[in-house]
Amino acid sequence: MTLLELEKVQSSYGSVRVLHDVSLRVAKGERVALVGRNGVGKTTVVNTLIGAARLNAGRVAFAGKSQSPIRPYHAARSGISIVPQGRRIVPGLTVRENLLLGSAPDRPGPWNLESIFGMYPILRERADGLGTAMSGGQQQMLAIGRALMANPDLLILDEPSEGLAPVVVDELGASLVRLAERGTAILLIEQNFGLIRSVGDRYYVMSKGSVVEQGRLAELSAEDLKRHVSV
Amino acid sequence: MLIQILNGLVYGGMLYIVSVGLVLIFGLRRVVNFAHGGLYMLGAYIGFAAGLYFGFWGGLVVALVLMALLGVLLDYGVFRPLQDKDHMTTVLVTFGILLVMEDMVHMIWGADTISVAMPALFDGTVDISGSPFPIYRLLVIAVAIVVVLGLTLWLRHSRAGLYVRASSVDALTTGMQGVDTERLSLAVVGLGTALAGLSGVIASPLMALSPAMGSSVLIESFIVVVIGGLGSFSGAFFAALVIGQVHNLGIVYLPNVSSMLPLLLMVVVLILKPSGFARSH
Repeated sequence: MTLLELEKVQSSYGSVRVLHDVSLRVAKGERVALVGRNGVGKTTVVNTLIGAARLNAGRVAFAGKSQSPIRPYHAARSGISIVPQGRRIVPGLTVRENLLLGSAPDRPGPWNLESIFGMYPILRERADGLGTAMSGGQQQMLAIGRALMANPDLLILDEPSEGLAPVVVDELGASLVRLAERGTAILLIEQNFGLIRSVGDRYYVMSKGSVVEQGRLAELSAEDLKRHVSV
Repeated sequence: MLIQILNGLVYGGMLYIVSVGLVLIFGLRRVVNFAHGGLYMLGAYIGFAAGLYFGFWGGLVVALVLMALLGVLLDYGVFRPLQDKDHMTTVLVTFGILLVMEDMVHMIWGADTISVAMPALFDGTVDISGSPFPIYRLLVIAVAIVVVLGLTLWLRHSRAGLYVRASSVDALTTGMQGVDTERLSLAVVGLGTALAGLSGVIASPLMALSPAMGSSVLIESFIVVVIGGLGSFSGAFFAALVIGQVHNLGIVYLPNVSSMLPLLLMVVVLILKPSGFARSH
């Protein structure tokens, strides 16, 4: 079953067109990496999925259903949770409240406050403190936990390693692999070579607003992957 | 002195109910709503007109329902298109709506002031420290307390309240979690305008109705919102209490400068603490 499908997508901010021709798909249980250099439009793909960038042409479908116009809440209600770039922990809300916010779609599944606290015990310890008062790595756990609270079929992570220490990135990679093994599909938008390698199975490469290459990561040499993600 | 403090609580309570509507609308829509004073005034007139047929309490219910519906229409037709516009456009449009509402009320009910009778059940006095104090004024304080507690419980302990607090800080992230922030905003603006109407109706037995009554309360409501900290519910509560006392004690002890005291207080607070009493939502 295809959870996310983009077909010849063109999108823009105001009059500035950023995506010219993006086609990709993620099926149930897949681990897909979307890679490319800075400024090629990777985050705009995410912004198109939440309606923050305008879809000018092409087709976006969540769980087989075409979306137009796209509203920010459509993806989450269709089983697609997004961990945005910069994490976007809501200021003024506690860790517990940020997590509860993620349960808005009311989808049944294994994830709830207790299971999130079980996976990331630090969140239980800091549950009544402000989410924005935590370290970058802890905020990343909170952002992932919040996304999981919706019991998604697909988790999209936009640059989750940004600003994290290497050891924290390794822990993040391990937890994403565990999630994937439990059946959650993952679309990882990343530039961190090691994280892409440890989590991804298939890949798409973006350049200048278009998808220019795709395949299996196992068939891609380390040098070629580094070439695609280097600044 | 105790009586004066109680009178200050009455005014502060009414001011809080009006101001918290402004806070709700600003939080969800980022619209500085100059029409809010007009909503307070319109609520008072609708309560008065419906009260002629259904009594004071029936008029209150009619006013609440109609004002909530008007809020939904305003959100859909005015605030939603305005939320991405610059502040000057917002000010001009909402101020224009205030003028339209004042003219409509002028056309329907005339320019003369209208007195509204106290509801019979509360038309008496109680003895407080040897002085008679109107029971109705105590009722106004009680209504304000109920609104404060009700809103606090709703915002702090309900799912919808969590979504409102989250959306007033970061609407896009809240939407990404699966919350339909547009529908949420319709409900919240409806609640905000209903609260303006509630304040107008409960104020009507205490002050004469006139088409201009909204403009005066609008200024002090904005002072409350600014002093309290833009978008802060708890800040608005404390600011309304302070402004209520400043307003009332000023009239009694410094009548020549009483009208400028709230403005002076705002200037002092903005110099000492530009973010207002509270920064959090």
